[in-house]
Amino acid sequence: MAALDIAKLDLDAIAAKERRAQGSSALIWLFAALLAIAWLVPFYYLLVSVFKTNAEYGLGHPLALPQSWQPILENVYEAWTKTRMGEGMFNSALYGIVGAGAAVFIAALAAYGLTRIDFRGKNFWFMLIFSGTIFPLQMYLIPLFIGYNKLGLNNSRLGMILFYTAICIPFPVLVLRNYMAGLPREMDEAARLDGCSEFRIFHSIVLPNCWGPMTALFLIQFTWVWNDLLFSMVLTSREEVRSLMNGLMVLQGSYAAQTPNVVMTATLLASLPTVVLFFLLRRHFMNGMKLQNL
Amino acid sequence: MTRTEQLASLPPIELMMREERRRARRRLWTALAFMSPALIFVGVFLLLPVAFNVYASMTKWAKFSGLDQYAGLANYQRLLSNPNFSTATGNTILWVVASFFLPAMLGLALALLVKGLKGEETFKSIYFLPRMFSATAVGVVWYYVYANEGILNSGLRAIGLEGLTRRWLYEEGIATPAMIVTHIWQQVGLTMVLLLLGLNALPSEPIEAAKVDGASRWGVFRHIVLPLLAPTILVVATVSVLAGFTSFDLVWVMGRDFPNRSTLTLAVNQYWESFRAGYWGYGAAIAVVLGVIAFSISWLLGALQQRLDRR
Repeated sequence: MAALDIAKLDLDAIAAKERRAQGSSALIWLFAALLAIAWLVPFYYLLVSVFKTNAEYGLGHPLALPQSWQPILENVYEAWTKTRMGEGMFNSALYGIVGAGAAVFIAALAAYGLTRIDFRGKNFWFMLIFSGTIFPLQMYLIPLFIGYNKLGLNNSRLGMILFYTAICIPFPVLVLRNYMAGLPREMDEAARLDGCSEFRIFHSIVLPNCWGPMTALFLIQFTWVWNDLLFSMVLTSREEVRSLMNGLMVLQGSYAAQTPNVVMTATLLASLPTVVLFFLLRRHFMNGMKLQNL
Repeated sequence: MTRTEQLASLPPIELMMREERRRARRRLWTALAFMSPALIFVGVFLLLPVAFNVYASMTKWAKFSGLDQYAGLANYQRLLSNPNFSTATGNTILWVVASFFLPAMLGLALALLVKGLKGEETFKSIYFLPRMFSATAVGVVWYYVYANEGILNSGLRAIGLEGLTRRWLYEEGIATPAMIVTHIWQQVGLTMVLLLLGLNALPSEPIEAAKVDGASRWGVFRHIVLPLLAPTILVVATVSVLAGFTSFDLVWVMGRDFPNRSTLTLAVNQYWESFRAGYWGYGAAIAVVLGVIAFSISWLLGALQQRLDRR
């Protein structure tokens, strides 16, 4: 970089450039805002539809404001009973919380083994676990369906939890392996010399330092399980055990044309938990994004 | 003590080595104990099924029998002559190309747009919002967006573009691109966030230096930012394409009356042939084809990544 020669700088030209830049940045802001509005149109449409009666939805413009807020009560009642949403919410929450929670804990154990203990062939064992992410989901479907039928695990909550736990393990292993490798090892060595067991070291020294990334990973995996449709379609058919998204899909399949307002209400209800979670814990979600970038 | 005596008083070298090998073995077992839950879950629920799927694709398995009858590559030959498979492959190729280029490119455009803008966090949240919805929910909403009296058609009518209105999800050549647009609307918030992280991690010196030297904004972007960011862009594009071309939920919800639909993809074709028609062996073969495509993409992009890193 050449040294700046103040005398040679054309200050007027720089000021003009600044003014132009300011003008263009206002235009850029306007463009971003218009784009954001366009981005939100489907959500606006979703929000107004849940306040409309079936007749109102059919006659008016799809983006028109609702005439009254009251139809939402009827819509929620219809959507809730038709999809058996209470059970769906319970199942999805159960699969998400237990599946993602168990997976992140199991991944932390594996990452501890891979980073804090010296042994040969680390890469092989890591790749063995991580290889669970490289296959398209379609390669699991038929064997799981048939295997679950043989073992009596299909249409069972246990079967769903076991599979969701397994599929949620490999990615956190990658992230936590990188993270734990960066933690200093002096504390473990000292504890080891004092005769601490490895599990004690994991539990009282390493784990407390990993809550940040583990929380973010839990949220990412929970959202994935909550939003998954495919495996619930393949592994469950009974209403008592199917997930919320499965119920939504079935509702849309039967009532999409007849009662769009009810289908839209079910969609909003099914999406609220993860969306609210996102706005409450935005920071953790964004931390999770940083972890994905490793 | 002389040096010889000192050495003699030490335990023999073999003993020391044996002790060390014993310790190494113990460390391996301890590590394996920590990894065992992960290994068991991944092995039983993911790797074993993949192996079984490959085996099943080479059997005559359909409906309730034939799993024990070896069929060689017959299922794969059947793929080549099945019209549904060709439709699905054509659409899947479109999905691969679109979900490789578009989320990364548009995500980069959005990242550059909002970076440093007043209210950056709000804009980021808005563009990211669709990502918090499930593909199922997004599919349901956009199914109505594209409907005859949906917001897209009525919007076009409102601005006098009556001629552009159509049955978006039913016309051949339009339905799949329409679904891809929905998919990208949902995914681009994620690629934007990932690329913003990449942008913010770039070294600032070369960029500042170029600005002082009078380089235009486009010049700075083209010759400095883009080359520095290329590895990140490639990772983002790889993640997008691997998730994109196997996406099932969205296509299933937005399309109806499969399998004779112009929007059929390999993922939907695989589900249909196995779980609706009961051709397990044939469905397993489609899954293997999807696996081969995923491997080829990863391998190709991995090689490209290495070339970028070496530069």
